[in-house]
Amino acid sequence: MEREVLIKKWLSNNLNSQEFQAFKQLEDFNELTRLNAALQDFKPQELESDIELERLNIALKTKSKKQNNWLKPFMRIAAILAICIGSYYYTTTLNTNIATEFAQKENIVLPDDSQVKLNAKSTLAFNKKSWEDARNLDLNGEAYFKVAKGSKFTVHTTAGNISVLGTEFNINNRNNLFEVICYEGSVKVEHNKTSRILKPGESFLILDNKLVERPKTDDTSPFWINNESSFKSMPYAQVIAEFERQYNVTFSVNNIDINEVFSGSFAHNNLDIALQAITIPLNLAYTKNNNKISLKRE
Amino acid sequence: MPKKLHNNICEEHLFNSLFKKHSQDLNNFLHYKFGERLNPKDKTQEAFIKLWENCKKVTPEKAKSFLFTIGNNLMLNETKHQKVVLKYQQTKPKHYTNETPEFVLEEKQYMKKLQIALANLSEAQRVAFLMNRIDGKKHKEIAEVLGISTKAVEKRIYGALKKLRKDISEL
Repeated sequence: MEREVLIKKWLSNNLNSQEFQAFKQLEDFNELTRLNAALQDFKPQELESDIELERLNIALKTKSKKQNNWLKPFMRIAAILAICIGSYYYTTTLNTNIATEFAQKENIVLPDDSQVKLNAKSTLAFNKKSWEDARNLDLNGEAYFKVAKGSKFTVHTTAGNISVLGTEFNINNRNNLFEVICYEGSVKVEHNKTSRILKPGESFLILDNKLVERPKTDDTSPFWINNESSFKSMPYAQVIAEFERQYNVTFSVNNIDINEVFSGSFAHNNLDIALQAITIPLNLAYTKNNNKISLKRE
Repeated sequence: MPKKLHNNICEEHLFNSLFKKHSQDLNNFLHYKFGERLNPKDKTQEAFIKLWENCKKVTPEKAKSFLFTIGNNLMLNETKHQKVVLKYQQTKPKHYTNETPEFVLEEKQYMKKLQIALANLSEAQRVAFLMNRIDGKKHKEIAEVLGISTKAVEKRIYGALKKLRKDISEL
């Protein structure tokens, strides 16, 4: 028993000097010290803590970079979501656009059953979503409106705004030309801070930024609806421009005063007759070459 | 209640001092338990990486046991209960100038026997015994690391010694 206790004390490094002497006397002493000495050779390699710490810090740095890589797919998902939400939002708030080409007319029924006839080379835009709150339209070109009764109906053009409550009117907004003709009810026209209320038959015409007063008309609808363009004291340039839109042709003019005033009309269904209609009254001659028409003094 | 200086170990200087304090012990522990074929050095590194990643959750007092548990688990993920063979240093500094060939041979044989005997120890015995003998750890320290009582540590160490001596003499 004595022996075992001594060995145990030796194992826990608890021998006092007296006990150590006793331990030395044990027959096991030599064997135990030899074993202990030999065991020291099994000591694992000393860690060079500075080098190891360096290694660890490098590993930690690359690790945190990897965590950034983990962010990448997350960002991708977020980007896709953003695109989806964005395009959904964009398409639902997107305006409905209607555009006509050369020689094309379009009938449009608006969400409130108002009717619009769009003349050639014109665009009309409105928003279906907000239609119930405000009847707003953007017009570029010429259109004839039959507005259903209801809230304020406003047409925005580059030249000014036209607002009505329920009526029939025509708007023509082209280069150097802004014309509104009221056919029924009343129409409010706003142009460059001036505003005017039109009664049936009255018209509002701006030519080259100048207001032109015109007599009342007895027409109940614009001519172009019935495939005819009619002009009363209009500069010849506007006539040619309208002709180009209706027939998809281009004019070249020589020695002609395009500001000369023209009254008359041309039909939209026969090029030759139409050409005669706009040339004979002014004593002009025309030559046709594919889509190019040149005008000359006779 | 005394206020604790640090709630976690996310500060770099704190973490570095922990590394200097515990890396060697952890490395040796893993070495004794699993041998060096499974690279205790790398597992030590990995355990410290895990510690850093969890630095917010680990208080300085818990860091040591966290490290040893993680290191142990990392090893267990890889071991397939293969026999652990510990290497001894082959290039032994010469203590004796007048070695006879018989003495050298006997010494070599003794080391081989010791190596085999160590491999034959149970894992629990070997870890406690080598931590005590080579690292000079106190019973209490070993008990903390292994999560057992000091009495059990004493028993394991003494048992290991007895078995080693028996094996060596029989080999």
